[in-house]
Amino acid sequence: MIIQKISRALSNFDNILPIFAAACAVMSIITLLSLPLAYHEDQLYPKQIVPGSPLNPYDRGGPPFTQAVIHSQYPANSPTAGYVTSYLTPLSLFISQHTSYMGTTIVAHPGGILDEILYNTRGLDTVVEPTILFIAFAIAAYIFRKREA
Amino acid sequence: MNEIGGAPLFFLEFGDIVIYFTPFTITLFLLALVFTVFVLVSRPERQIDIAFGGDAYYAKEISLSELRFRRFMSIACGLACMGAMVTGDVFDFTLFVSLVGICNVGIVAAVKSRHVQNAAYQYGLVALAGTVPLFAAAAMVAATTGTLSMLELAKDTIQVPLAARALLVLGVMGEGMAPFYAAKAEMFRAPGAPYVIMCSLSSLLIFLRVAEVILLL
Repeated sequence: MIIQKISRALSNFDNILPIFAAACAVMSIITLLSLPLAYHEDQLYPKQIVPGSPLNPYDRGGPPFTQAVIHSQYPANSPTAGYVTSYLTPLSLFISQHTSYMGTTIVAHPGGILDEILYNTRGLDTVVEPTILFIAFAIAAYIFRKREA
Repeated sequence: MNEIGGAPLFFLEFGDIVIYFTPFTITLFLLALVFTVFVLVSRPERQIDIAFGGDAYYAKEISLSELRFRRFMSIACGLACMGAMVTGDVFDFTLFVSLVGICNVGIVAAVKSRHVQNAAYQYGLVALAGTVPLFAAAAMVAATTGTLSMLELAKDTIQVPLAARALLVLGVMGEGMAPFYAAKAEMFRAPGAPYVIMCSLSSLLIFLRVAEVILLL
């Protein structure tokens, strides 16, 4: 009997979203009850805020073309990581030398800091992320341009 | 190391993201590959409606643009599936799963029919909501163990909290909800049928893979 009721509720696809939302809510409460979880101190890719650095909070340290230390999972797989962590183009260098409040601007414009975690050790993630965006834009563009049937 | 899917046969390194092929993952990978090739070469079905009480019938035409779009989405979904089957990194796995989810939304959304569009909208909301537990699980794994690599997590010394595993399963359930909508919207019999099978297949595959990941962690 109860299975019948459940299957009837699930057969209407308007109900699936509320059911999933309820499951998410229950799971969140269970997760909150299971807190606190122990934080593991030995994290990958650590980064500390260097006071006074113009590249804050994206400073990974090291002069350009000298290998900075990056704590990655398999250092043997990315032997060139850390060489260009602080390389700046002339414009970004100019900005960084004249103000110490433009770290986000420097990292966000082309020619700024290359965060090598994104492009070297975890490059595949960075490929998949724009792919998700691209697929989403493709769907939106197709639906927007579709003529009324 | 506990080897749920058998001993890894070979590794493919992308920096810290190590893709590994065990007998289990290679089977799922080949399944996704074969289905993607099928999608690539197959032609869409034309639904035939028979007029009741006469000899007449209507064949529904599928426009070239719709065919192209849905084929593109199915192939993208197949590629995302292949990635999700073999990846050896928890965060990379969650990314591939959400890519599968959004490709499924695209496959369902391309149909020109009002109730199918409604179903696609609802499913899109579920896929959106599903990313929250999915990425929360990846974040919790990273915070509590300090690593994301499944090969490291498979070692017995590292314990992943139960809540993180449960959230991962919940997120994959949200992304893999497509068959509910596809079946209800009668998409399997709707024009352009073969591409919709990719929804079901990709959901099935990510469920199989998440079972392995959960047992591994």
